[in-house]
Amino acid sequence: MSIIAFKDTKVLVQGITGGAARHHTKNMLAYGTQIVAGVRPGAGGQEVEGVPVFNSVAEACQSGPIDASILFIPAAGVKAAALDAMENGIKLVVIVTEHVPLQDAMAIMEAKRSLGATIIGPNTPGMISPPEKTMLGFVPARYFRPGPVGLASRSGTLTYEFVSRLTAAGLGQSTCIGVGGDRIVGLRFREALRKFQDDPQTEAVVLVGEIGGTMEEEAAELVAGGAVTKPVVTYVAGHTAPEGTKVGHAGAIVSGTRGTMKSKLAAFERAGIGVALEPAQVVELLKDALK
Amino acid sequence: MRIYEHEAKQLLRQAGIPVPGSELAATAAQAREAAQRLGGPVVLKPQTMIKARGKAGLIAFADTPQDAGQAAGELLGREHAGEKIDTLLVEAKVAFAQELYLGITVDYTEGCPVFIASREGGVEIESVAQEHPERIIKRAISPGQGPTREQVGEIADFLCPPEEGGVDRSDELRRIIAALYGIYTRFDCEMLEVNPLVSAGGSFLALDATAAIDEDALFRQAEMVLPRGQSEAEFELEKDHRKRGWTFLRMEGDIGILSSGAGITMAILDLMRAGGGRPANFLDTAQMNRQGIYDAFHLFLDDPAIKTVLVNIFAGLNRCDDLALGIQDFMTEYRPSFPVVVRMVGNREDEGREILRQVGIEAIAGLEDSVTQVIKITEGLS
Repeated sequence: MSIIAFKDTKVLVQGITGGAARHHTKNMLAYGTQIVAGVRPGAGGQEVEGVPVFNSVAEACQSGPIDASILFIPAAGVKAAALDAMENGIKLVVIVTEHVPLQDAMAIMEAKRSLGATIIGPNTPGMISPPEKTMLGFVPARYFRPGPVGLASRSGTLTYEFVSRLTAAGLGQSTCIGVGGDRIVGLRFREALRKFQDDPQTEAVVLVGEIGGTMEEEAAELVAGGAVTKPVVTYVAGHTAPEGTKVGHAGAIVSGTRGTMKSKLAAFERAGIGVALEPAQVVELLKDALK
Repeated sequence: MRIYEHEAKQLLRQAGIPVPGSELAATAAQAREAAQRLGGPVVLKPQTMIKARGKAGLIAFADTPQDAGQAAGELLGREHAGEKIDTLLVEAKVAFAQELYLGITVDYTEGCPVFIASREGGVEIESVAQEHPERIIKRAISPGQGPTREQVGEIADFLCPPEEGGVDRSDELRRIIAALYGIYTRFDCEMLEVNPLVSAGGSFLALDATAAIDEDALFRQAEMVLPRGQSEAEFELEKDHRKRGWTFLRMEGDIGILSSGAGITMAILDLMRAGGGRPANFLDTAQMNRQGIYDAFHLFLDDPAIKTVLVNIFAGLNRCDDLALGIQDFMTEYRPSFPVVVRMVGNREDEGREILRQVGIEAIAGLEDSVTQVIKITEGLS
């Protein structure tokens, strides 16, 4: 098993006629992803890589069941496209686009909550479930192997770095999720951890964090509270990053002292989570955890 | 992207939130004339990106136009935190009894706007929030609906309890709260705060305002894109970087870093500092192809502090040979004085290595090894 996306997950590609979308559609199909439809207003009736194109999400949904959508849409159009997908009943939406305006991201998250959908991203290379041969996104599939490690990461490039090391060390993966590098993202570490905990195939979890935000602290609190019993290993990038320039007082009033490297490492320590201070330690800590 | 106080106040004024009378002044004479027209005592406030101007002693008070001219003369041209004061906001001085705080920001954890209000505004608001959280209220707002009537009422009543003072001011506060939220959404703010909001002369007045516009929304807020706290050249450079998809931050060090992806780049900085190296920059370039890597090299070309450059390539989706050609193009054209260390793995790695050998670079496969190597070379140069 894996989490979130499986071999029978039926996938829609919004914005399928764009250059990058065509390329990634081809790669996703080659990996095994069941892409059943694409959307591009005005291009209905065409085909991309053998996938039928529809004028709207509603039309695509009439052609057959759709479980998930991946958006290859410029930032200015992401809000409308994501709302369109969710309002048509699609429960999983992957948003790869970066630079989505904050207020648009907030509107998407509100719709997600009221419609009971899962959003991956924005600003993510997507996700991959190697045992299920399913990829929603554009991670370099050849580095991934089926296995017991679940991974959730705020950074695409660090995901590839770590997965190539895991695979080289003989540690395959159940599901790897890029949760997105933006300040507001849909699926957060805590939700990913809960799902990995419930997945019988996942035996250990790697969280790849970054300085800033509160996702690491939330994950640590979940583990400390006993909801996650599988071993968790973390790496957080940004030990030496300069403190972000703060504007006004409002941000500090909301987040308090959370978000700093100190706060994250202290939270992991309280939860008994293994912290890799350097990339090479991730594999060592995982091997120990899986003994 | 933060905007100046006078710009933020202009947004408030347009939305019907009262602000004190004011004029901008770029010379002592202009400040004197502004004070004359405003009549009575004035406050002179530098329009800079400098934070905590009051604590830095950069806010002046003047009772007469002559004093205003003199104070302006002393402030204008001063440098503070790398920024030169070239404009002052000359504003009518307001007497007040109590400082309120009213702000809107984003709760990034919940992904929604949040209103924050306190009856203990002013510069100590953050310590109030830490030490007396009960003196602050926060209300999560539905981004689709905006604040509800109940929420607006709660915030207004918290700021100005109806029983105090006899006069019911809540309608006025409700209008201010609603207008502030209107600005927040209309201008894609990531934060907007009035601190302090004071009661003076029978009306609420916004004495100071801070606003930051979401940089990812600048495509629809183009009129807000102006040089602030920077030279025209710096402003143009920043625009160029944005257009190219570069996040570039120059730091103190001497080892240039050319890498793609914020996470791996931060990890490289961490490894480098842990190993005693001094990274010169943070760079996240979205364009990792032959042309993009060639272009990015130019960031280091005219920088005399750069002693070495480390390139990190993990070609999962792109190709090592294509990127190696970009490095070759640059090395052949410019013959840079700085040695270049390349860490390269991924698609068509062997072909890429062969191309780099032609310009005398032996690519390294391990991330840690490449960092160690570039530090060693840099130390050997000094």
